[in-house]
Amino acid sequence: MVENARSLNIIASLILVVGMIYILGPLYLTLSTASQSYEFMLRNGLAWYPGDQFLANMASIFTETRIPIQMLNSMVVAFSNAAATCVLSFLSAYAIVYFRIRWAGVVFALILATIMLPLDIRVITTYQVASNIFSPLNAVLDATGLNGLIAGIFGTPVQLELSVLNTHFGLVAPLVAHGTGTFLFRQFFLTLPKDLFKAARMDGAGPTRFLFDILLPLSRTSFAALFVLTFLSGWTQYLWPLVGASTPDMQTAVVGLARLVPDSDGQVPDFPMIMAGAVIVSIIPLAMIALLQRYLVQGLVLSEK
Amino acid sequence: MNAIDTAIRAAAADIKLIGVTKAYDAQTVVIPPMDVELRAGEFTVVLGPSGCGKSTLLQMIAGLERVSDGKIMVGGREVQDLEPKRRGCAMVFQNYALYPHMTVFENMAYSLKVAGVRKAERAARVAAVARMLALSDYLTRKPGQLSGGQRQRVAIGRAIVREPNVLLFDEPLSNLDAQLRHDMRVELSELHRRIGATSIFVTHDQVEAMTLADRILILNKGRIEQFDTPKAIYHHPASVFVAKFIGAPPMNILPVTGDGSVLRLADGQIVAEARLTGSYQLGIRPEDIIVGIKADGHAVRAVLRFREDLGSHSVLAADLAGSVIRIATPFGADLINQPELFLNLPAARLHLFDAETGRATCRAFAAQ
Repeated sequence: MVENARSLNIIASLILVVGMIYILGPLYLTLSTASQSYEFMLRNGLAWYPGDQFLANMASIFTETRIPIQMLNSMVVAFSNAAATCVLSFLSAYAIVYFRIRWAGVVFALILATIMLPLDIRVITTYQVASNIFSPLNAVLDATGLNGLIAGIFGTPVQLELSVLNTHFGLVAPLVAHGTGTFLFRQFFLTLPKDLFKAARMDGAGPTRFLFDILLPLSRTSFAALFVLTFLSGWTQYLWPLVGASTPDMQTAVVGLARLVPDSDGQVPDFPMIMAGAVIVSIIPLAMIALLQRYLVQGLVLSEK
Repeated sequence: MNAIDTAIRAAAADIKLIGVTKAYDAQTVVIPPMDVELRAGEFTVVLGPSGCGKSTLLQMIAGLERVSDGKIMVGGREVQDLEPKRRGCAMVFQNYALYPHMTVFENMAYSLKVAGVRKAERAARVAAVARMLALSDYLTRKPGQLSGGQRQRVAIGRAIVREPNVLLFDEPLSNLDAQLRHDMRVELSELHRRIGATSIFVTHDQVEAMTLADRILILNKGRIEQFDTPKAIYHHPASVFVAKFIGAPPMNILPVTGDGSVLRLADGQIVAEARLTGSYQLGIRPEDIIVGIKADGHAVRAVLRFREDLGSHSVLAADLAGSVIRIATPFGADLINQPELFLNLPAARLHLFDAETGRATCRAFAAQ
């Protein structure tokens, strides 16, 4: 805007400052609390200024809690989530854009529906399936009456059972079923020249070669953007890891942080230590953004250079 | 002439289409059965309005579209069921379709790499083609760093480096500006003279067709209207469609009736003597009309509506017997205040078409 009114500028700056305090205030409190001792907090309540116990609190996270092993879990979950989502989205978008498939529009709409039905809504049914991944198959066999037939021949109906609860796979798989990546890649593919696929065919490259030689190198930035986004969302997942993992050694760091608050009433939680834990847990996603921010922006802009 | 020229010339093959058909279902027939033969080394331009099926035809030859029925023979080999890479065709696309992440060298070498050609030979062949197309200095650049004309040359290089039997062009010049289009036309023409590849060039631009083609194939709604040399198409159009499609401004078409001795316009004026009876459509090119200011012979009277002065000549639009007739004439200034024109239509320059079918009929005046 080219408006140059002084009063406007002042008001705009004021709004900006309020917004910054709103965001940075809690962040400051996290850091200042993390640097005070438990006793200080018991005596004074909120820590408005930083103390000198930051390293001690950090150390106690590593010695007294399971946060380090849980961060490893988070790492595995976030990384596998990001990698699997990237591969799956890339392939599904490739199929939707470059092949004449019957019902391609319907398939794409169904994939998009997963964006509108996030895991938080489906958490109970997802839990049911995760507790026995064959339960949909069993249900189909029962409903179609096939199981009655099988029971008649073999004497007993088919009832398969395999629980993936409390495993890394069980933590990751439900997160991967998400359409954002497919949408991102589809939009990117649609910006590429249409004749590229034909040109590659004329050059003798089949669909697989086209995928690896042409599409994959061109999608680098989209991959990076999607990877960062899904990594962050995997790292910060709370609800699903909370129900999907039952033992502390399988829980993720975010869940572990929440569990640092003692269950019993009357005891004041060790907030300085918890805040130190929060700082440690945030370092990985922060580093991720710092390193890959360039690609994140490029990939989301979705345009050719 | 060097090795690559000879190799491409040797690879040139003839193409035969036998009953080739494209239909999506019983109602939507894009190309009804078509038979056509293209000679080896010939430059054929497929010309037609948009939606006439010319791109579909090209893609069927390339193998990018399936043939509904019929046979495509390249060099005596039946290819309609083969993958594009086994047909020996290469294609230049309208929007270049270069691989944006590869350098010019990699773009041109890609097909050779896929085909498993050894690295040293790849480099040698790309270098030879790049020299031919004046691209040697740009081999390490990416397509994004090139101008439109250079990109088009890379696309052509990518096509000819494989020494294809057939070279296909899908409106390759329509993305360029007027000046560049002219330059590329000349370049393509020279290139063709040099390498002699069998080429099929699809366009809707009649200037490209007239200047580049050995023979022009004019398509209308999937059917061949005429397939002949540019000269023959201009001077002896086989139908009203061709007559109106070629030439700028296009040929004038006037309805006439014959009474056995003369041809009369709709308003009764006599345009020519001919022993014909019944309704016809009379065609005459704007530049063949002789303009006079007084009646003599079989001159017909027309009323001038407006004139466009193009410097080298003027284009006049006049009302003649209820239709608008266009006349290209070197005269101009002296006709400004002359509302009435007398037009002489030389009998040798008249074209006669059937009123019903629009096909050319025997030229009955030539003998007189």
